[in-house]
Amino acid sequence: MDTLLTIAVLLPLVAAFVLFLFPANNPRAIRALALFATGVSLLITLTLFANFDRTKSGYQFVHRIPWLPSYGCSLKFGVDGISMTLLLLVGFVSFCGTMISSEIHDREKEYYILFLALTTGISGTFCTMDLFFFYFFYEMAVIPMYLLIGMWGSLPPGKHGRTKEYATMKLTLYLTAGAVLALIGLLAIYFAGGTLDIEQLQHNVVLARTTQHIAFPCLLFGFGFLASLWPFHTWSPLGYAAAPTAASMMHAGVLKKLGAYGIIRLALPLLPDGARHWANLLAILACFNILYAGWVALTQRDWKFVIGYSSVSHMGYIFLGIATLNVVGVSGAVLLMFAHGVMAALTFSLIGFFYHQTHNRFVPDLSGLARKIPFIGVCMVMAVMASSGLPGFANFASEVLVFLGSWQQGSTLFHVATICAVWGIVVTATYLLWAVRMSFFGPFDEKWSMLKDAVSFKQKFPYALLLAVLLTVGFYPRVLTDIIKQSVATSVVSRLSVSPETNTAMVDTAYRNGAKP
Amino acid sequence: MMSLYAVQLECLVATWAIILLLVDAFSPMPNKRLVGYVAAGFVAVALLYSFAIQPIDNPFFHGMFRLDPFALYFKRLFLLALAVVLLMAAEFSPRIESGVVEFYALLMLCAVGMLVIASVNDFILLFVSLELVTITLYVLASYLRRQLPSLEAGTKYLILGALASGFTVYGIAYIFGTTGTTNFDRLADLLHSQTGAPSSAFVFGMLLVLTGLGFKIASVPFQVWAPDVYQGAPTPVTAFLAVGSKAAGFALLLRVLYAGLLPVSMVWNALIAVLAGATILYGNLGAIPQHNIKRLLGYSSIGHAGYMLMGVAAVNALGAGAVLFYLGQYAFTNLCAFLAIIAVTAATRSDEIPSFSGLGKRSPILGLALFLSMMSLAGVPPLSGFFGKFQLFAAVIQRAQVDSSYYVLAAIGAVAVVISLYFYLGVGRAIYLQEAEDASPINVSTPMRIGLIVCMVAMIGIGIFQRPLLQASISAAKVFSLK
Repeated sequence: MDTLLTIAVLLPLVAAFVLFLFPANNPRAIRALALFATGVSLLITLTLFANFDRTKSGYQFVHRIPWLPSYGCSLKFGVDGISMTLLLLVGFVSFCGTMISSEIHDREKEYYILFLALTTGISGTFCTMDLFFFYFFYEMAVIPMYLLIGMWGSLPPGKHGRTKEYATMKLTLYLTAGAVLALIGLLAIYFAGGTLDIEQLQHNVVLARTTQHIAFPCLLFGFGFLASLWPFHTWSPLGYAAAPTAASMMHAGVLKKLGAYGIIRLALPLLPDGARHWANLLAILACFNILYAGWVALTQRDWKFVIGYSSVSHMGYIFLGIATLNVVGVSGAVLLMFAHGVMAALTFSLIGFFYHQTHNRFVPDLSGLARKIPFIGVCMVMAVMASSGLPGFANFASEVLVFLGSWQQGSTLFHVATICAVWGIVVTATYLLWAVRMSFFGPFDEKWSMLKDAVSFKQKFPYALLLAVLLTVGFYPRVLTDIIKQSVATSVVSRLSVSPETNTAMVDTAYRNGAKP
Repeated sequence: MMSLYAVQLECLVATWAIILLLVDAFSPMPNKRLVGYVAAGFVAVALLYSFAIQPIDNPFFHGMFRLDPFALYFKRLFLLALAVVLLMAAEFSPRIESGVVEFYALLMLCAVGMLVIASVNDFILLFVSLELVTITLYVLASYLRRQLPSLEAGTKYLILGALASGFTVYGIAYIFGTTGTTNFDRLADLLHSQTGAPSSAFVFGMLLVLTGLGFKIASVPFQVWAPDVYQGAPTPVTAFLAVGSKAAGFALLLRVLYAGLLPVSMVWNALIAVLAGATILYGNLGAIPQHNIKRLLGYSSIGHAGYMLMGVAAVNALGAGAVLFYLGQYAFTNLCAFLAIIAVTAATRSDEIPSFSGLGKRSPILGLALFLSMMSLAGVPPLSGFFGKFQLFAAVIQRAQVDSSYYVLAAIGAVAVVISLYFYLGVGRAIYLQEAEDASPINVSTPMRIGLIVCMVAMIGIGIFQRPLLQASISAAKVFSLK
């Protein structure tokens, strides 16, 4: 059982190396191998989820391979409720992304190698229990994204006047800037704490106040770059707009969540003093995320830009949930990471479906598409309902948790922030309903009469799967909230009350270890 | 006999160079390219043989020469560089008008100087070996004597290099004058027993020696020659400058600072840290507008010198090991890049970055090799450059735990990583994102293919399984008494 998790994480990377030796002229075999790797990964993840002990807090399925003894670094995987949820997300999105990639007909071998490497980079970051490998996998996800967008992406000319090369370069530079900033914080934690093992850092080490105050902003803004924290979000809608469908799905759905995950997994429990110090600022920035990005989304005309800004806006709810520093709010943030991930992947895959045929995703140009592609139309309406937070979808449950947590936090600032966030839902509903009404309903335009709907089971499956996930969690959120809450309570929130002063003895041991790691 | 054991690698390579020269003088061989392959193969065998040599604690030749793990680490590095550079020279030989075998022999004699540098434990030997390397490089840089850029490169290198040598020898005189010794061990003992700050004449001499070494590694403010010489010199020589000469400079710098001058580290520590920051920024900012790939790599080599100076400035065991690890992986990465450049320019006759457009389609192996080496230079996992940079940053942050001003140095390094990714991806963009005007495939010879695959496997292998090289670098760095 213990090695299964490691297999689930590393299988796509191994498949990428195998693909490397494949002849390039057999795209069917290449695709089959990629589907096999992500599919088996998903099945293993589901098995792990079924066997996950819901009564236990802490990491499960831990598997450790010693790696660099001189640093005390080991390749160690394990999941708790938070990372289990997100690993499920990676499994669903990467499998559906591979299925949808059948639209790629150019240099398939390189495409699938990069896509699989990206998948391992993301799931590795979610599951690793070692700071070095956390950073290693995190950085490993960046360059495949650059090439995926640059080689297979498309960016229709618009007001922005940008090319896909500009978009992908901007995305890469922003993500790297965030990564190196986070690296400084991580190394400061390592030397002050004396170990790279995240579990040990969480339970046995309390860092000195000065270290916390230096390292927290490094982690917050470093990871914030990746999670499109306002005002470092501008790379993100542009990047999604230029990316090929599967890459947008992976990026908006999963890669972005790495940033929020980094804050929850590392910044809050390891630097509680810094977290208390910076929480108010984070809440204010979160409101900007929600309202500013929502307002920008109102003015967009390109489907992918609408959804891109919408996703920036939704990240605001996640940040607000994190800033509450209480169990309800942080659990809401984690559940929203899952719900939004599935929803964003679904929306981008649907846009990809009709854009592949229309070569046009400009909302005013499209009209009455639902008449020609009813299946896609229905899915899109459902996705938009989920995104606007209608009951019955996972997003509803998670957003409610965030609001409750934020109100419960009690200070005036958070009351105002809650009101802003609730208002943000109205804004979201406005632009999404407008976009759906314009392009899927209304008078049918003859120029779209050549459109073909998803008819075969193979075509429908990925969309149906993602929708099913959203609805299942929406009607029965406890399937995830139970395990999330338990982990958030024991490994995040309980640590937030630890203060450096009351634990001086622990600080001393930490420093002694730090002197000779 | 023991002394001969210590210098066996030097003797081996020098003898082989002289044999090549003599054979070519008396019965010239028609196939110069084959001679190059054979020479490279011989050096590769010498490299394998070097793993059978055991380090010895006591110094040789009256304390001048050491065969410790540090020396062996660098000797292996130089032999590796020489083997691949000879392979490049063989590929490059059709573009050399005359004296191809002399070209090989000069490269090998230059490497003999580097092999001695790895073992230097005395200022006199330091100067002699440094001159052996530098003078052969003057000739090599201007080897394409009918091409103006090559002549310009040679002249520039000669003038500035001669000046730097002058500084070094003048500084050595001051150090000898104030302390009465040129031996590193005795110097360290003397400085250790002294109380109070060292005399200003001694500090002056130390700064002059650092000037000479700063020129070798192309650190600010002695870096201006690098882009011009890198661009103008024949490409194998550029590769040798980037890999061999740079590593030789760092070998000397580490020996001088950590073996000889460690007791007065408070005098030079801040200086090196400031130079590291300035060098990182100069190299990486200067590389942004470049459109000639050799010139770009010239600026990039300045930037990497800056990164490694970060490790030197940290003055801890982690930093010394990190510099050694970085040099090791940097050799594979840069050699891979230059191998690919030589193969491409043989077909396109141009070093400009736009001529690399569509390389991923024209020759998948060359495109992949150049792309991977650019990403490794930028420090992207899972390539070897990532772990190199990670260690250097770790060393600086460890130092920052006691002296928080080092966080500034780490921040400069972090900004530069982002900048460098921009221009390295500029090359990557040409390779994969842009279409070629002339899409004809580029042929790659079998020895070249072997060299490329070895370098690529090394880059990815070291990047994922860091332990073997890490352990070698740590045990080499243990010769210094650092904490």
